[in-house]
Amino acid sequence: MALALVLKKSLSVQATQNFFKTAIKVDSKRPFTQILSAIKKEPIKVCRESKFNTPKRLMSGDHGKLWTVERGVSVALLGMVPIALLAHNTLLDDVLAASVVIHFHWGLEANVIDYVRPIIFGHAVPKVALGLLYLVSISTLGGLIYYNHSSIGISNTVRKIWKKE
Amino acid sequence: MSLIFRLAGQRCNSQFLKNSNGLISCIRPVTLKATNVSPPSKEGHDERNMKLKRPQSPHLTIYAPQLTSLLSISHRATGIVLSGYAIGLGLGAIVLPESIPHYIDCLHEMGPAAVSFVKFSLSFPMAYHFWNGIRHLIWDTGKMLTIPQVYTTGYIMLAVTFATAGFLTVM
Repeated sequence: MALALVLKKSLSVQATQNFFKTAIKVDSKRPFTQILSAIKKEPIKVCRESKFNTPKRLMSGDHGKLWTVERGVSVALLGMVPIALLAHNTLLDDVLAASVVIHFHWGLEANVIDYVRPIIFGHAVPKVALGLLYLVSISTLGGLIYYNHSSIGISNTVRKIWKKE
Repeated sequence: MSLIFRLAGQRCNSQFLKNSNGLISCIRPVTLKATNVSPPSKEGHDERNMKLKRPQSPHLTIYAPQLTSLLSISHRATGIVLSGYAIGLGLGAIVLPESIPHYIDCLHEMGPAAVSFVKFSLSFPMAYHFWNGIRHLIWDTGKMLTIPQVYTTGYIMLAVTFATAGFLTVM
């Protein structure tokens, strides 16, 4: 019911009282509870509509539980980096390599998603960039583990750089 | 609309209608035209802003540099640099013609300045990302998020980072 009343002039007290009487009479014929109960009858339909009407953003994916795992790896790295660099143990070097690679992979993935966006580069380039990142991350993990076992390893490399001549 | 007027006619007495300052003189009939509901826009926030040629938010070229934003972007930058080191070592171990220790020997032959430069280049991003990472992890628990706390921890982090990087460089 469209109540299109535009009050141009200031009303007298009597007029205001009459106006509100009228308004109450109109409302009492069609209370709001009727309108609300009509909506409540089909809650599922309302939910479905709102789901489909939400515009899909072309930016970031949903991280969900991964967020917690990322924090766990980050906290673990706070201890892993000093321990592994001081321990000079091949197994610890391998664990360090794996945790560093997964950590930087997530970090660079966030960069790719933030900067190589479909809105700027189209739909193909971001997928290629993400694929390349996976290739680089896996190759790096393989290379670091190979290095740990075939050569002096990560921690000894750092020690060698810091070695006093 | 007609219901309003009908009710108004029933409710309002005649003297009220005749009065030029009364209720009827205050009512202006309005015609409402029914149109189809337009579907909601499919474009997202960024699509809309790009279409309207709006600057990126925050407008970095006119936005004053703040400690908060600078430390945040530096965290990402140092992370990228450290990723580069890890990727360089991992891929270098596979593709380089000589072994990595050979190149470290070459570095030491270049003199102490080159070694110090490499030490600082390695230790500064590591120290920064390490100490600032602790800040980020504390924030992730929902603590230390007020602006004074962010600034205080920011300055503490910078002091500790430069101390750590300086110590590791001269070590």
